Amino acid sequence: MPIIVSTLSARALASTGRRLFLRGAAAAPLALLAGPAALRATDYASASDVLDAIDRREADVDGRLVAIARAVAGVEAFAGSVRADHARHRAQRHRLRRRLKLSAFAPPPPPASPDLSLATLREAQQQLVHAHAEGLPALGDAGAVDLLAHHMVDASRHLTVIDLWIEAEETRG
Amino acid sequence: MAEARREFVLRIARAAGVVPAVLGLIEGRGEALGRGDETDMAVLDAAIVIEHHAIALYDAGLRRGLFPAGLRHYAVEFRGDHVGHRDTQVAISEERGGRPPEARSHYDLGRLEPGDAFLRQALLIEVAAQEAYTALISRIDTRDYLLSAAFILVDEVRHMTVWRRVLGLKIY
Repeated sequence: MPIIVSTLSARALASTGRRLFLRGAAAAPLALLAGPAALRATDYASASDVLDAIDRREADVDGRLVAIARAVAGVEAFAGSVRADHARHRAQRHRLRRRLKLSAFAPPPPPASPDLSLATLREAQQQLVHAHAEGLPALGDAGAVDLLAHHMVDASRHLTVIDLWIEAEETRG
Repeated sequence: MAEARREFVLRIARAAGVVPAVLGLIEGRGEALGRGDETDMAVLDAAIVIEHHAIALYDAGLRRGLFPAGLRHYAVEFRGDHVGHRDTQVAISEERGGRPPEARSHYDLGRLEPGDAFLRQALLIEVAAQEAYTALISRIDTRDYLLSAAFILVDEVRHMTVWRRVLGLKIY
């Protein structure tokens, strides 16, 4: 397995989004925390590893969102918007793989009956954001960094929408 | 609107003495800079300038009670994030022998009005920060700064999205 999980320097993560994520997750009673793993970052070994991880995590989010949209009224607009962004990102990553001469990757299908809680959706989305952020240093290509940084902006926006959704649910009781 | 935002961030950066090559990148003008230590330092300086400006804006808003009461907790959180971003990048710059830009003694923040008007000003600086980091991130050469910048960008998007939501703007 070429992916190494390591503890990053305190400076690299202190005061940045990782701290916010940990605080946000701790504040959300429904959140399923990843425990000690949440304190560590994945140190990707190659662009291929990064793109594979993103494909895997994006498919996970898609599967969960589709299931939630089927079960909960009023979610389809957000789910549809996220899926449209993901389809665009996938097509752009596909072109990036070709440019970098990397083989295609078929992510495993999402679970047939995924957990429908917002907490697990949030966790999946957070992992997708982290795969982008932690993957940028492994890309070694300015064009690839630029592309995935733009995708990360979308993924971070989706994560915030989910956070606001969770807050609204909590306020409603 | 996009042009106004870009002009806003450029105005901040110009006033603080950000080097023309970095201004060119923020403007989206071609390959103004290669990658390397010198570029990292220029990006750090530009980013620190923007963080100083954001902190000044949030300080003014919190001190004068310009944020609606129910949203003050977001302002406190976001101010804290910007302080963290500034400190992280100042530490990276100093570690490399740089002289990071200090905060100015006075910021021209324009007319400060409470409520939605001030939230729009907060949104403007967040959008400017997000656009600047997005424009500059691919020029960063060192892994630890690139990782820090990535997580800072994630924060900026969160701030921007929350203020857009509060102002009733589209977020998806």
